[in-house]
Amino acid sequence: MIIFLMFVGLICLILINVPVAIALGIVGAVATVSSYGVSALPNVAMVMFDGATKFPLIAIPLFILAGAIMNASSISRRLIDLASALLGFIKGGLSMVTIGASIFFAEISGSAVAGVSAIGSIMIPAMKKKGYTKEFSAAISSSAASLAIILPPSIPMILYAVMSGVSVVKMFVAGILPGILGALGLAAMCYYLAKKNNFPSEGEFRAKKLWEAFKGAIWALFIPVIILGGIFGGIVTATEGAALAVVVAIFISTIVYREFNLRIFYKSCLDAGVQTAVVMLLVASSAVVGLYLTETQLPQQLANSISDMTDNKYIILALLNVIFLILGIFLHSAAAIILVVPIVLPLILAVGIDPVHFGLIVTLNLAIGQQTPPVASVLIASCSIAKSDIWATSRTNLWFLAVLFVILIINTYIPAFALSLVNLVYGT
Amino acid sequence: MNSLTIFKNAYFKFLEVIVVAIMIALASVVTVGFLSRFFGSPFSWYDEVASVGLAWLTYYGAALAAAKGAHIGCPTVVNYFPPSIRLPIALLAEAITIGFFVLLAYTGTQVVLILEGSTLISLTSVSVQLTQSAIPIGAVLFIIAELLHLPEVIASAKGKGFTDHELEEAGLSYDKASITTKQ
Repeated sequence: MIIFLMFVGLICLILINVPVAIALGIVGAVATVSSYGVSALPNVAMVMFDGATKFPLIAIPLFILAGAIMNASSISRRLIDLASALLGFIKGGLSMVTIGASIFFAEISGSAVAGVSAIGSIMIPAMKKKGYTKEFSAAISSSAASLAIILPPSIPMILYAVMSGVSVVKMFVAGILPGILGALGLAAMCYYLAKKNNFPSEGEFRAKKLWEAFKGAIWALFIPVIILGGIFGGIVTATEGAALAVVVAIFISTIVYREFNLRIFYKSCLDAGVQTAVVMLLVASSAVVGLYLTETQLPQQLANSISDMTDNKYIILALLNVIFLILGIFLHSAAAIILVVPIVLPLILAVGIDPVHFGLIVTLNLAIGQQTPPVASVLIASCSIAKSDIWATSRTNLWFLAVLFVILIINTYIPAFALSLVNLVYGT
Repeated sequence: MNSLTIFKNAYFKFLEVIVVAIMIALASVVTVGFLSRFFGSPFSWYDEVASVGLAWLTYYGAALAAAKGAHIGCPTVVNYFPPSIRLPIALLAEAITIGFFVLLAYTGTQVVLILEGSTLISLTSVSVQLTQSAIPIGAVLFIIAELLHLPEVIASAKGKGFTDHELEEAGLSYDKASITTKQ
């Protein structure tokens, strides 16, 4: 009964726009008092402190900080130049460049909104100028930036890894193959739509132009090399890799690009601090609810009752896909992960699904959810730059969402798709 | 500029400086910790101190996020109502939020008192009372920030409704993306 009232209370608080973190804290505190009395209240404060001391989550502010420092320099333009020299010659060249630059940018920043803001603000006006519709320009920018959250370093992946107890690094490795295939899928769709709508290419491929662009962007590409090489090579942990990325970002923007100043650093620290605090307060208050749920063994009971009905993991995965897709329409990705993952994880383990595989499914669902209104931060950011209608853009975006959906289904039902690279690097 | 605005700007600047200082400290601790490990003599205190730093960033940063109206909410349903209904709902949500942090400040103070004499495991000279003080202090700072942000909440409730803070920070807004029909 208390669990049911907790659920109803949580929904009511969220619907009247109480921040999700505070709604969770209130529900957790009320459940604690109703079960253990008022004397248990100090426990809420202690759990909320301990909940915010998860060492692997330190990677979140540090990755955001590194991305913000690099983004404040001319990195977006350099990455776009590189993508343009590499992909611009293909039919629908600017849309290909948008995908390429978004993928490069994703390897530096963990945030999709930052990606669409940095790349979209240059590419969307360029596409509109070349005759692409504003809806198409906004849609491809949004989908390409959203795909970025399955590529390392990904903030939702760090969050999932900590909530589920799996390795952050394994999550990062698992995202590489689906991320690349997703980018190729989006590019193929762009090519088809470019042929259909007669969108232009950006001239012939020239090796000299590519070399010049590569030289201009080589330092920007150095950060993913450090992140991927250092972390995957076992030299640094994900958190240490993030700190190293900050040091390298400061070095590159100060010494190489000579665009770094204290104002940029102050603003970058501020962005990273606030974005982290918002996510971390959610993590901390979910610890109060999590403790209560663990003591009442609700997740285990849920796992038992569902696995009594069916132990077919493919049916369970289909059901969870539907739940996450619906949640993605209404909730921010961090809130969806924190609310649902601790409850469904025992079920996932009970039916023999690899939690890394499930983590990628969750992340892909949320990549789609970032683009489904009303709560669609990435799509809205993109529409805001293109000055396009959200619903008209959503209709065009269905083409690209279909690609992401196919990647989701492949990933859901072919675990090797996500896990083969993980198994290759870390063994089965 | 009236005195309330001056106080508000000064207060928000104060929170900003705290958050930036914690961010710099956190990045420095992890970097130094990594270097010490890399050169074969790891500092025993590094992960414990860094974890406390993250908790401090959470609670001092949460106060700054409250000042900016940046906490993740779901304003979709509230935005569907006319301003006459939206305003009392928004005020109720604010009252609930502040009430929770009053509770947190009170219980956090109790915890700090209970922990008298406890120290960190790796740094026995550092009192746990100091590290845990982030909860009551952060809660009080949050309440002040929330109260100072209240006029903007009321203006949004009376006006076009609530928007996504992430977009505002990126210099974007819902207004620039037109919405012709709700489907």
